[in-house]
Amino acid sequence: MIWVMLTLLAFAAGVLAQLRLRSPLANPTLIGTLIVAAALLLTRVTYDTYLHDVQPLSALLTPAVVALAVPLYRLRALLARQWQALLLGGLSGTALGVGVDTLLARALHLSPDAQRALHTAPATSPVALQLAPFTHAPPALAATLAVLSGLIGALILPALLTALRVRHPLARGIAIGSVAHGVGTARAREEGEQAGAASSIGMGLAALTVTLIVALLA
Amino acid sequence: MTSGSVTARLPAPARFVLGLGLLLAFAAAGQALTGALGLPLPGSVVGLVLLWAALGLKLVRLHWIMDAADGLLGVLGLLFIPATVGFLQFLSAGAAWGLWLLVMTAGLLVGAGAAGLIASRLLRPEDA
Repeated sequence: MIWVMLTLLAFAAGVLAQLRLRSPLANPTLIGTLIVAAALLLTRVTYDTYLHDVQPLSALLTPAVVALAVPLYRLRALLARQWQALLLGGLSGTALGVGVDTLLARALHLSPDAQRALHTAPATSPVALQLAPFTHAPPALAATLAVLSGLIGALILPALLTALRVRHPLARGIAIGSVAHGVGTARAREEGEQAGAASSIGMGLAALTVTLIVALLA
Repeated sequence: MTSGSVTARLPAPARFVLGLGLLLAFAAAGQALTGALGLPLPGSVVGLVLLWAALGLKLVRLHWIMDAADGLLGVLGLLFIPATVGFLQFLSAGAAWGLWLLVMTAGLLVGAGAAGLIASRLLRPEDA
């Protein structure tokens, strides 16, 4: 349980830093990740040992994702009215994300393992994990690149959307969720309930879209 | 709303426990369903859809699960840390990480940029 303690404290430190620094890099998940990673490296504890120890914490992720149904239900009237924007925005974002990840990885001659793992980066990590047998990617690498993709998206996408003058919370949310899934949705929720709900729709659609693309191409 | 229902009078901590229990139940149902049907989808996303349907059909009341849902979602970013730390398994890839991050960043920028612009264009005016 000592690693549960450290993960909780590292995340709390990240939230405090976010309140203090007001910088997009002061993201609680990023800061928490770096503190935990540094502690693991310093103590030479393996990732497997860590993962086993923090099992109680990981076990809460599934009900937390299920809980995203609550904001979707609360905003159902608004979301139903804007379904075309959400559906088409989400589908195109995810499809383009998969396309760029696949073609650019090939153009840059990345290792075959990395190329295969990157196919599924726009989907939430459990999807990437479940699709790994079909893409022939190493499952742990596919899941890691997916969750890191979400983290990087959480860091850079709000600024991108502001630069593109995408201001409506539903448009911002669906854009973030369509490629940056879980961690992106945590970030979108910081902008408000509408952005968070749209992002969770984007995440759900991305799970379906990426699965479909892999099923068609594999 | 069944305002006079006994569950509305539950103390907040007990309501949190009830909500967490129900969220875990839907998570388990989602996982069982994906397993039984062989769906290549995460059980959590299927559980999300099941809970949404149950709320719509009034099988589950919003106030049963609201506190637990808001509590868990408030620290959603914390629950991903065990997964993000997984990059430690691939430190040996060394310089390849630069290209991996470049590709992911390009995919994120193009995908989200297009999604944001398309969705903005298609949003219906609020007061129509």
